[in-house]
Amino acid sequence: MAGASDLMSREISRSSVGTGTAIAHHGELIQGVFKDDGGHLHRGLVTLPIAGLRSEATFARSDDDAIVVHPDHKIKASAAARLTLDFLNVTGGGVLTLQSSIPVGHGYGSSTADVVASIRAVAAALKVQLRPSSIGRLAVAAERASDAIAFDDHAVLFAQREGVVIENFGGSVPPLLLLGFKANDGVPVDTLRLPPARYDSAEIQEFGVLRALVARAVRLQDPYLLGRAASASAVISQRHLPKQGFDEVAEIARRAGACGVQVAHSGSLFGLMFDLFASNLKRRAALIAQQIRRAGFNDVEVHLVNAEGRTW
Amino acid sequence: MVTFSVDYFRDLETPRLALLAPNLVAAAFPLMKLMPARYILDRAASNGELKPGSHIVETTSGTFGMAVALLAAARGYRLTLVTASTLVDAKYKARLERIGATVIALEDPRGDGNQPGRLERLQEILAREPDGFWTRQYDSPGNWLAYARLAELLIRAMGKVDCLVGCVGTGGSLCGTASFLRTVFPHLTVFAVDTHRSILFGQPVGKRMLRGLGNSVLPKNVRHELVDEIHWVGAYPAYMTAHRLLREHGMFMGPTSGAAALVAQWVASTLPDAQVAVIMPDEGHRHAETVYNDDWLAALPGWPCKALSEPRTLTTIAPAAETQWTRFLWLRRSLENVLKTQSASEVPPAVGAAENL
Repeated sequence: MAGASDLMSREISRSSVGTGTAIAHHGELIQGVFKDDGGHLHRGLVTLPIAGLRSEATFARSDDDAIVVHPDHKIKASAAARLTLDFLNVTGGGVLTLQSSIPVGHGYGSSTADVVASIRAVAAALKVQLRPSSIGRLAVAAERASDAIAFDDHAVLFAQREGVVIENFGGSVPPLLLLGFKANDGVPVDTLRLPPARYDSAEIQEFGVLRALVARAVRLQDPYLLGRAASASAVISQRHLPKQGFDEVAEIARRAGACGVQVAHSGSLFGLMFDLFASNLKRRAALIAQQIRRAGFNDVEVHLVNAEGRTW
Repeated sequence: MVTFSVDYFRDLETPRLALLAPNLVAAAFPLMKLMPARYILDRAASNGELKPGSHIVETTSGTFGMAVALLAAARGYRLTLVTASTLVDAKYKARLERIGATVIALEDPRGDGNQPGRLERLQEILAREPDGFWTRQYDSPGNWLAYARLAELLIRAMGKVDCLVGCVGTGGSLCGTASFLRTVFPHLTVFAVDTHRSILFGQPVGKRMLRGLGNSVLPKNVRHELVDEIHWVGAYPAYMTAHRLLREHGMFMGPTSGAAALVAQWVASTLPDAQVAVIMPDEGHRHAETVYNDDWLAALPGWPCKALSEPRTLTTIAPAAETQWTRFLWLRRSLENVLKTQSASEVPPAVGAAENL
């Protein structure tokens, strides 16, 4: 921490205001237990980012010791702001204001997005650029378990309870069209109340295979391989946090020629993944969305992943 | 504290990948059995079954014994390998003993490997050793679970895998790799490689010339329902393919690897649009004085024989000569199901997995 205190030894204006944003996600591509280089197991996940939804934070420093947050129920964001000030060896407090378009409780990562946006806003107010790894660690410290949204669209295998990267895949997830919808009649899931899944040996070994698929898919920008990984992880998730209608969704995906079925492993979201560059995608997506609605699922939405400005 | 990301045995168990044809990747192992041996010992150590200084026992004289011997030496376990006098040569036994293993070679009057005698001796040792641990490579799920790592390595190098070719002895490597690959590639076609007179895929037991391939007992880790096609390769074509791997690819592999390569090269040329992976389990050093020795080869009756470019397809399972290579469409059936169909002399539908692709 010597580096941080050196950095902070210079005079910082107490009146500075910073803003930060963080994107949402659509649950995880894969989630399970993974080996590190020493053979030790860690719970980990690869987040599926969606940039269309985001949280924005503004932090205005004050001489007051307290951190005041608006809306006032966002206590994890407030805790994250305090941890960031501590990390940067800065005393005092400030006013943290959050504005978010991310729905709560379905696995879009609304909470982590608030936390990450807040960390970034505090750092910006102090004119400091934090590394994603530091943001990820602070996020986990603030909310116990956090997704990998501190890394934006950069694909990493993230230990969500330890705040460390198990494997950096060295690039972004390939461009996708995602048809997202909610299982279980859209009833929200209380993430922190979920007991951590207990995986058997075969599942733990399979997670290594899924991780290899994601690595290859990111390296070669292959949405097909990414879909295979997501589908297999969804099947395992189904044994631990079952979603109603899973088999039906898998069948729709198969008939529609989707790359795969992706789920929020601690939420209610389903996503059908398509190669954004597939032919006739617009027409096909409309038809498939109709089938999904007819099968009784709510709130079918189109999300673009890493679409680089393309509109739908 | 400085930590090093170093693990000698993880590196030693890692195969080198070779491109044998534009659509064929070979996983060439120096000592494949390290992969299950390390996994089984790691798992037993972490769940407390294997304690510091424990006495490990196994009934093998093959490469699994060598793998466990190396790990036992490095990790401070005692090791006893129970084998039969007909199965272990003096040099290999001396090598195992030099590593620190105790090798018990039982008499083998019937010449069938005396597996019941070996199991009996093993049980005696376990009964008097409270800290005894039996690695059970034939039945332990650890044997097949370990091969997720091979599936990972293949996927990182190849992406999609359409066909997998591999030898069967305990079933661990082929069935383990196949089952993990199939969870993500359900269309995967699995080609099992066995040898004539091995009982694994329904042949009557008999004397096998090719060491390290096939079996005279049926391990639990052989899961027939994963297999699309079974190939029986005789010793001669296996030796000749091993020679060819050396001369055409600079790879010094054992004869079982030769058998696998022979089948894999046929699969890859028959299905040029499929991405094929083949498992090659060991190197040629153990065979320097036999398979790679011209005098030894010259003494083989009928050597050299005609090189084979394709297998003979059987509709009824039957043994063939050591110069032969046969094939049977297994079609993911159980052994019981296949044997029942065979005895009713029903011919399975002539749509092979390979033809279907």
